[in-house]
Amino acid sequence: MFSASIIDVHGTPVELRRAGEGLPLLYLHGGGGDSEWIPLLDRLAEDFTVYHPSHPGFGDSGGLEHISGMEDMVLHYVDVIAAVGLKRVPLRVAGSSFGGWIAAELTHRYPNVVHRLVLVAAAGLHLEEAPIAEMFGVEPAELAQRLFYDQAHPLAVAIRSITDPSLLPEAMLLRQFKAMEALAKVAWNPYFHNPKLERRLDRITAPTLVLWGREDRLIPLAHGQRYAARIPHARLEIVEHCGHMAVLEKPDEIYDAISDFCAEGALA
Amino acid sequence: MDFYFFHLMPWPHLPADYDGPAWVKCPNSFYEGEKGQVLYNRYLDELLYAEQLGFDGLVVNEHHANAYGNMPSPNLIGSILARQSKRAKIAIVGNALPLYNPPIRVAEEFAMIDVISGGRLIAGMVVGGGPEYYSNGLNPAEARERFYEAHDLIVQAWTRPGPFEFNGKYFKLRYVNPWPTPVQKPHPPIWIPGAGSLETMEFVAKHRYAYMGIPYFHKRVFQRNFDFFREACAKEGYAADPKQAGWLVPIYVAETDEQARREYEPHLWYFVRKLLPGIDIAPPGYTTARSALKLVGARNDFMRFVETWDQIEDGNYAIVGSATTVRQKMEEMIKSLGVGNILCLLQLGTLPADLTRRSMELFAARVLPALRAAGDSREGAAPTASRGRGSGAGGQ
Repeated sequence: MFSASIIDVHGTPVELRRAGEGLPLLYLHGGGGDSEWIPLLDRLAEDFTVYHPSHPGFGDSGGLEHISGMEDMVLHYVDVIAAVGLKRVPLRVAGSSFGGWIAAELTHRYPNVVHRLVLVAAAGLHLEEAPIAEMFGVEPAELAQRLFYDQAHPLAVAIRSITDPSLLPEAMLLRQFKAMEALAKVAWNPYFHNPKLERRLDRITAPTLVLWGREDRLIPLAHGQRYAARIPHARLEIVEHCGHMAVLEKPDEIYDAISDFCAEGALA
Repeated sequence: MDFYFFHLMPWPHLPADYDGPAWVKCPNSFYEGEKGQVLYNRYLDELLYAEQLGFDGLVVNEHHANAYGNMPSPNLIGSILARQSKRAKIAIVGNALPLYNPPIRVAEEFAMIDVISGGRLIAGMVVGGGPEYYSNGLNPAEARERFYEAHDLIVQAWTRPGPFEFNGKYFKLRYVNPWPTPVQKPHPPIWIPGAGSLETMEFVAKHRYAYMGIPYFHKRVFQRNFDFFREACAKEGYAADPKQAGWLVPIYVAETDEQARREYEPHLWYFVRKLLPGIDIAPPGYTTARSALKLVGARNDFMRFVETWDQIEDGNYAIVGSATTVRQKMEEMIKSLGVGNILCLLQLGTLPADLTRRSMELFAARVLPALRAAGDSREGAAPTASRGRGSGAGGQ
């Protein structure tokens, strides 16, 4: 089980969930699905102290008024890391999708802050031949298709079942609107990428694990291959029979990979 | 009470077997310039004919990348009207301010139209439709802030002696000093269209501008919105003037109710089923969460999801019938909504030129005068002599 609290970061309330003991692992969630606590994090908490903050605008975190791009988001996480007291410890950072993009931007700007980096189906790059698919304003059935390999996954079923949003609970809709606004602030244009990121990836010094579902229909596997090719000490692991939401679809495989990788160099 | 003739300039030639959206992704390979030439000129003729028939104003608006309304630049159409019309107001409702960068361009073009027309411009300002944020790459999460800031810049450009410096969050101009400036002082009347966003109505109320309710909703949605608007004005410490409220409505008039429905219905369904799909795409952050919630609630009262003629009639999504029927229905709505500007959408979808003209003529001859008389007596205003066919040469 995790404990949740609201911490003050540079005058901004940040919702922070935390569980487990051991080396610190900061998990940066994606645009949805893993913005709540997910089973994968319970597994990781067996080995690490897992920190799961909600991004500005998500959940009960504020501060969206200070975010108008990735630069602001990165500085926000520099402040979060300092506020939680993780600045001078060997910090592991794992991010999925949108969170993976934040993790990559944070690590190349502040290479000394991140000891080990895990990117799962990370946004951030633009590949002419393999563009990131549309996720704003897409019909629910189409979105479920893009996010999951296994269309029988409970979240895929839940997304597909939304035919009339006016039937959803008001509180849930409000949170969803707010989260999408937060995402748009950073990722609307350029669409889920930073044109300058690719050239900067060689600034990352941390050993890096890149995890990708082979059947990712939102951010194609080619992005994982590009990340692994551009980051100096990176390794790509492909998860079979798995879509974009790898952290939900294949929690055991993702756990094994992250756990092994992040335990390496524990004394370093 | 004032009557405006509204034109969307729709594309009536979508293939019969096309069932995709009319917005953002509607393939522009469907567009044909030769047919477009005929249409633009026909639609301009209809606008100018409306002035001859006695309408008080002509209304156009801005939409991009769609088949619903082929006016990405309403200012181009507005400038043609400024030159070719003689008397009518020219209401451009409006320019999607965040799409102009820097928005001083709007202050300049509107001023040109106001000067050319001799002070007949109504300056509409709008956040822009949801689809526009997909088509233009602008960040919808910044839409509101950009709109308010652009508005401030434009109004200052019209009212503060230049040159002066404008230092906003989005727009920074060291030398604001537009030439020309408008004829109308302190500036042309400002209208703001809205689909029910609460903050838009509060903004209009605060500045004492006019609010124009966007159509295609059930009458109860209009009622709710105009009631909210009047409350917002009351909160600002004044009673809303009916001229601050505009009702935009599709209308068709024929000799009998039966004939009107028979002639109009297929064209209406083309509009509902071919041109509306996609108009309601709501990009993230485009409205505040509380307004987004309200709009989700109105979804089932949105014309796009209407399926039967009875629903059209019941919700007054369109007012269709003989002159008597149309007059009665509109009179009821006008009284109930408390609106002083009626924006008549007399061409819609595939409605051809001959039927459009006949309906315009019947409306102008047998509906408009009675509604105007009733409205003016309600507002306590003496009927003005300068209105009506062929009268008044103002503006040239």
